[in-house]
Amino acid sequence: MSNFIIETNKLTKKFGSSKVVNNVNLQVKKGEIYGFLGPNGAGKTTSIRMLLGLARPTNGSVQIFGKDIKKERLSILKKVGSLVEYPSYYGHLTAYENLEAARLLLGATKPRIDEVLAIVRLTKDAKRPVKGFSLGMKQRLGIATALLGNPELLILDEPTNGLDPSGIIEIRELIKSMPKEHGITILISSHLLSEIDQMATQVGIITKGQMIFQDSILKLRAQSTSKIKLTVNDAEAAWKSLLTHGYRTDFNQNKLFIENGSDDNVAEIVKSLVQNNYSIYRVEEERKSLEEIFLELTGLEGGL
Amino acid sequence: MGRLFQSEFLKLRRSSIWLLIFVSPILSLVLGLSELSEIGEFEQHQWTATLGIMTISHAILFLPLLTGIFSSFICRYEHVAGGWKQLLSLPVSRRNLYIVKILIVSLLIAATQILFILGLFIIGWMKGYPIEIPWGTISTSVFGGWLACMPLIALQMFASVAWSSFAAPLAVNVIFTIPNMLIVNSERFGPYYPWSQPFLMMMPNSAENFGALNVSIETLFIVIFGSLILFLGTGLVYFLRKEI
Ligand SMILES: Nc1ncnc2c1ncn2[C@@H]1O[C@H](COP(=O)(O)OP(=O)(O)OP(=O)(O)O)[C@@H](O)[C@H]1O
Ligand SMILES: [Mg+2]
Repeated sequence: MSNFIIETNKLTKKFGSSKVVNNVNLQVKKGEIYGFLGPNGAGKTTSIRMLLGLARPTNGSVQIFGKDIKKERLSILKKVGSLVEYPSYYGHLTAYENLEAARLLLGATKPRIDEVLAIVRLTKDAKRPVKGFSLGMKQRLGIATALLGNPELLILDEPTNGLDPSGIIEIRELIKSMPKEHGITILISSHLLSEIDQMATQVGIITKGQMIFQDSILKLRAQSTSKIKLTVNDAEAAWKSLLTHGYRTDFNQNKLFIENGSDDNVAEIVKSLVQNNYSIYRVEEERKSLEEIFLELTGLEGGL
Repeated sequence: MGRLFQSEFLKLRRSSIWLLIFVSPILSLVLGLSELSEIGEFEQHQWTATLGIMTISHAILFLPLLTGIFSSFICRYEHVAGGWKQLLSLPVSRRNLYIVKILIVSLLIAATQILFILGLFIIGWMKGYPIEIPWGTISTSVFGGWLACMPLIALQMFASVAWSSFAAPLAVNVIFTIPNMLIVNSERFGPYYPWSQPFLMMMPNSAENFGALNVSIETLFIVIFGSLILFLGTGLVYFLRKEI
């Protein structure tokens, strides 16, 4: 048996002729916070619906806790808490009754309802009908429902949607604490790299239905190579002078760029410029942000 | 399945739709009371005659409409804000969920039937009908009417699950209920028209049988059970395969 909590094998979903999820091999190890990242329409929600058995894969398979979702859906779902896309609720019931309706099906204890209400800070509003809730409050209720059954795996689709900044931080801290305190595994989807960056240990990046990166967040960060930017008085002449002395730089927007230069390499270039009487105004390091890497990987440079 | 039932019951109880179980029984009670004077002569048929009068609007109009309204409502709060998604991400068997939904509607119809009979007893008590209540006729009528609603419930549940719109299945139901008045009179079509079956089963037998009431009870039973299995099976297969 594999040691993955979630493992999909060539998971594919077609709507009509378009492959919305295409041969995705998702692998989530126990205790990880797996950031499932992709731009709008990448296929995150569709993948998650297949993980939970809400939608049927066109091809491929889903294994959770080493069991096939097609065959052992009920026993898997007993240990999974989830929040898919926008929050689900019964508007005519109060927050407490909403949780009670789910509790009956999960077989959780009644005190657990008060616990999860406290975790998402809804205790005060528990007796109000949910139709009067704000989006953020409904989202909190959704998170409370996901936590209700003391799950071993949490699948959260854009859980910070609609939350205010302090709510986002609260939920983020909560999510970060769970693997440590309870050994829970978490898959969390988002279209914001910065959000994933602050929580995730593993990252999977999906775009146009295809998984284009799946590794630890550290590996992703390592891709953020740096370059040195030089601002000098006559950039073009300086660039030519450097070339004649055997130093290769990029001339761009009236600036010189040194790609992947070692410290010695940078020092030599600066020395050569000084010796040839160029004035050096600035030497700066430009680091590609994770956001830029994400945009490069997903081929979405130049905006959405 | 017990917990599923409790959970569904909680959702139903807090929506006020179940109050509709009172509408038809109260209306039938009023109708039964107002037409009393004409029945005075048939001493021994008083119970049956009143039951017959009350049955007309109740079984031709209200029972078919109520099956649709209850089914739509019990699915409405699942359609509106992602209820299906939430419910089916919990450890719940789709088959049991579907069956529990149908059972809840059939219980609401059963409650309507019981209230309907209470109405009849109130009339009998007020007008001093004979003490020998024709239990056989009455219970056959109420139970038969309930049983004849089952295929309708199965059909309406299918429509309500499939259509996320709340109004569409209701409108279709009304359209099929309107010609009921004519179809119950047709010996050829009545027994096979699901919307007519509650009336045909509920109408107490009397000398003046007309139209489809001449159809044998065996034929009706076969048609009712056959269509129940057909509608329930189709709806269930659809729901098991439905993508949420
Ligand atoms: N039922 C459906 N029928 C047809 N196309 C669908 C259906 N559901 C989703 N799609 C399409 O599949 C693609 C992926 O949708 P999905 O909801 O999985 O994206 P996502 O990654 O969750 O995006 P977002 O960040 O906006 O939530 C979209 O192009 C969408 O239009
Ligand atoms: Mg989505």
